[in-house]
Amino acid sequence: MKFNILKVIRIILAGLVFLLVLLFFCDFADIFPDFFSNLLRIQLVPSILAGSIWILVGLAILAFLFGRIYCSVICPLGIFQDIIARLTQRGKKKNKKKRWYNYAKPYTILRYSLLAICAVFLIFGITTPLLLLDPYSNFGRIAVNIFRPVVMEGNNLINWIALKFNNYDFYHVTIYTVTTYSFSIAAIALLLVGIMSFLRGRLFCNTICPVGSLLGLFSRWAIFRIVLDEKRCTGCRLCEKACKSQCINSKEKTVDYSRCVTCFNCLDRCNKKGIGYRFAYSLRKNYHSVSEKNIPAKQNKMTGEYGINRRSFILASTAMATTIPFIPAWAKKNEEIDITKLTPITPPGSRSLKHFKERCTACHLCVTHCPQQILKPAGFDFGINYAFKPRMVFYEMAFCNYECTVCSEICPNGAIERLTTEEKKVTQVGIARFVKDRCVVFTDNTSCGACSEHCPVQAVRMEPYIDGLTIPHVYEEMCIGCGGCESICPVRPIKAINVLANAVHQVAVKPKEEEIEKINSEDLDFGF
Amino acid sequence: MKRRDFLRTTAAVGVAALTFDNLQAAMSTNSLMVEAVPDMVAVMGGEPTQLLERALKEMGGIGKYVKKGQSVVIKPNIGWDKKPDFAANTNPELVAALIKQCLNAGAKKVTVFDHTCDNWQKCYENSGIKKAAEAAGATVLPGNDEIYYKEVKLPQGVKLKSTQIHQALLEADVWFNVPVLKNHGGAKMSIAMKNYMGIVWDRGYFHSNDLQQCIADSCTWTKKPALNIIDAYRCMRKNGPQGRSVSDTSVLKTLIVSTDIVAADTAAIGLFNQVEKMDIKQVGHIANGEKLKLGTQNINKLNVKRIKL
Repeated sequence: MKFNILKVIRIILAGLVFLLVLLFFCDFADIFPDFFSNLLRIQLVPSILAGSIWILVGLAILAFLFGRIYCSVICPLGIFQDIIARLTQRGKKKNKKKRWYNYAKPYTILRYSLLAICAVFLIFGITTPLLLLDPYSNFGRIAVNIFRPVVMEGNNLINWIALKFNNYDFYHVTIYTVTTYSFSIAAIALLLVGIMSFLRGRLFCNTICPVGSLLGLFSRWAIFRIVLDEKRCTGCRLCEKACKSQCINSKEKTVDYSRCVTCFNCLDRCNKKGIGYRFAYSLRKNYHSVSEKNIPAKQNKMTGEYGINRRSFILASTAMATTIPFIPAWAKKNEEIDITKLTPITPPGSRSLKHFKERCTACHLCVTHCPQQILKPAGFDFGINYAFKPRMVFYEMAFCNYECTVCSEICPNGAIERLTTEEKKVTQVGIARFVKDRCVVFTDNTSCGACSEHCPVQAVRMEPYIDGLTIPHVYEEMCIGCGGCESICPVRPIKAINVLANAVHQVAVKPKEEEIEKINSEDLDFGF
Repeated sequence: MKRRDFLRTTAAVGVAALTFDNLQAAMSTNSLMVEAVPDMVAVMGGEPTQLLERALKEMGGIGKYVKKGQSVVIKPNIGWDKKPDFAANTNPELVAALIKQCLNAGAKKVTVFDHTCDNWQKCYENSGIKKAAEAAGATVLPGNDEIYYKEVKLPQGVKLKSTQIHQALLEADVWFNVPVLKNHGGAKMSIAMKNYMGIVWDRGYFHSNDLQQCIADSCTWTKKPALNIIDAYRCMRKNGPQGRSVSDTSVLKTLIVSTDIVAADTAAIGLFNQVEKMDIKQVGHIANGEKLKLGTQNINKLNVKRIKL
C-alpha cells in the first residue's frame, strides 16, 4: 500500500482536535485553560451566532481551497462518526464485501430543505431547528450528558480507591446537571449518528447536517479536489468502496464535491494512479471529474454529479417557502408566553432572555464548566425555543459565585458574552423576592439570617423585627440575583426567598465602600 | 486509647469541669494543675505566628495536646471566597504556624478542612489557607460532598439530636478549633462555637430549627477540640459573615486560646466590644452553651493569662 501522507496528516489533526474538544467538554474540574474554547469558536454554527466574520471568511476560504476539510478535521461530530465507522471496520480493504461502501445518490431535497429551515428560523430568532441539527451542539450534548457523567463517576471511583490509600488528591463530585431532557436529546443524537455512521459512513453529514450542506455549496468549486484520471481509471471501484461519503461514482468517473469531506481515504486505494488530490482548474485535460460527455444532459455542469438539478431545487424552494408563513406565527407565540410567570434566569453576560435564546444552541459547554453546577438544561417549561438550553437553578449549597465569570469566558456562540469580574459583580440577572409569611423568623419566632449571610452584596439585610429578632429585607437595586439567599434558605418545600429573573439584565447599584476606620491595636485592651 | 492517655484526658476534662462556680472549692485542691496551665491565654500585639507560639507556651506547650504519631485535624473557618484581609476566614499564617507546631510535636498527619459556604475550591484558594497549609506540610481535604460525612449522635442536644460530621474529624486523634472573630448576620457573632457549623453537613437544619440552640447542641459532641484558638489578628466588625469590604475589618493583633469554648467566645466578645458594640445576650448560642455545661461566661472565675507582647 502506498503511504498516504495527506490521510495521515488528516488523522493526526482530527485526532488531536477531537481529543481536546472531548476533554474540554468533559472537564468538570476546570483543569484545562479557557483558551481551549478557541477550538469551539472556530466551529461554524458558533461563529455564525457570535457574528465572527473573520472566522466565517476563513472557513469559506478553507472550503474554496480544499473542500469540506472542515468536516474531517474541525467538526467533532464528524470525527466522532469516522471513529465509529473505523471501529466497526466500515470501508476497510481487508473486510468482507458487505462492509464496503458503494456510491449512493444524494438526498438533495432533504438536505437543502433542512438547511433552509435552519436558516429561515434563525433569521426569525428561533434556534430550535439549528439546535437539533447542528453537529457541534449535538456533539456537545452527547459529551456533556453521556460521556461526562462517565468521567465524573470514574473520578469518584479513583477518589474512592485513593482514599483507601490515604491519598486526597482527588475529590468526590455529585452530578446534578444531567436532566431527563438533556440526556434524552443527547442519547437520541448519539443513537441516530451512531447508526447512520455504522451503516453508511457520512450519511448524517451529507443529509441532515446543515453545516455539511452549507459547506457543500462552497466545496463544489474547491480549488483542490479529488479527481479521477479518465485515462488511467479502469472503473474498478476500489476508491468508491473506501469512500465513506459514498460520493465517488466510478462508473461515471465522477465525484460529488458537495458531499466529499476530503478525508483522503480513497487516495491509496487505486492501483493505477488513477485518483489524486489535485489543483482542479489547470489540469482539466488529464484530470476531471466532470467532463462534458460524461454528464447526463439534465445535470448542471457546475454542481457535479447529482447536484441540485432543477426539479429538486424547485422542490426544496417550495418546501422552504411553505414553512415561511408559519414562522412569524410561531415566533409570536413564543413571545407571548407570560414571562413574568415563566422566565428562566439566564447566566450573567447573556444580556437578556431574547439575546440568549437567539444565540444559544445548547451545546452545554457552560453546563460542564460551571463550578457550582447551577447551569441546568431546561425542558420544555419555557417554550420550544428554550428547550435544552441552560438556565440558572439554585439549590442546596449552590449559587452563582460572586467573582466567577467562567461561562461568559467559554461560550463560543456569544450567547453568554464575555464579562470582566467587575462587570459581573454588578450584573443583575434577577432580583430576590422575600416572602415574609414563609420565613422561619416569622413562622417560628427564631433567628436565622442565612439569606443575609450568603448575600455577597448586602442586598439582603437583617432588619429589626420583634423581641430582638431581625428579619430579612431585600434592597432590590443592589441585588444581582446570584441566588446565594435562595440556595441557603432553610424553608421547604418552597423557599421564603426566591430569585425572579430579569428578562433584560440590569446593572445593580454597587455596595458603597466605607472609609477604613483606623484602629491602633496598641491603644486596645483585652476588653475582658 | 492507652490507659495513660485516658488518665491524662480525664484530668484535662476535669480541669475544664472545675471552672464551674459550684466546683470552685474543688479547684483549690487541684491547685497544682491550675497553676501549671491557665484556663485561658490571651496574647496581644504581635504577628500571628508569634501570638500562637507564646499562647501555646503558656498553655503548657503543644506537646501537652499533640503526641507523637497522632493524627491531627485543624478546623479553621474557610467559609468564604475572600482574601485574608477581609477577615472572613481564619488567618492563613496562623493555620500554617499551628500545623508546624503539630508536626514538630511528632504528629503523624495534619489535615485541614472546612465545609465552606462559597465554592470550596475558590474558598480554599482565595483564603490563602490551602497554599499556606500545604506549604506547612498539612493535607487539605475537601468538605463539599455528603459522602465525607457520617452520622453522629448528640444525646445532650436540645434541638439537634444527631448530625453528620466530617469523617476526618471522626478519625482524628486530636483536633483544634481555629475560628476567626467575626460579626454575623444570623448568629450575631461567629467565633469558636459557631465554627462547629463547618464540621457538619446539614446546616439547613440549624437554620430552620432554632439556629442559636443548634449551634450550642453541635458543641455537645463528645469529641471536644484540644484547644479553641480564636484568631483575632483581624476581626470583622460588621456586615458579617462575608463582609462588604476591608473597611468592615479591624486589626486587633490578638489571639485567645482556651479549652473552655464558652469562656473563649465570651472573652472574644469582650475584645470585640472595644471596636463595635455587641450585647452578648444577643449571641444566644453562648448562653445556650453555658446551659448545656459546655463552659462558663464568668471569666473572672477562671485562671486567665493576659499577655501583651
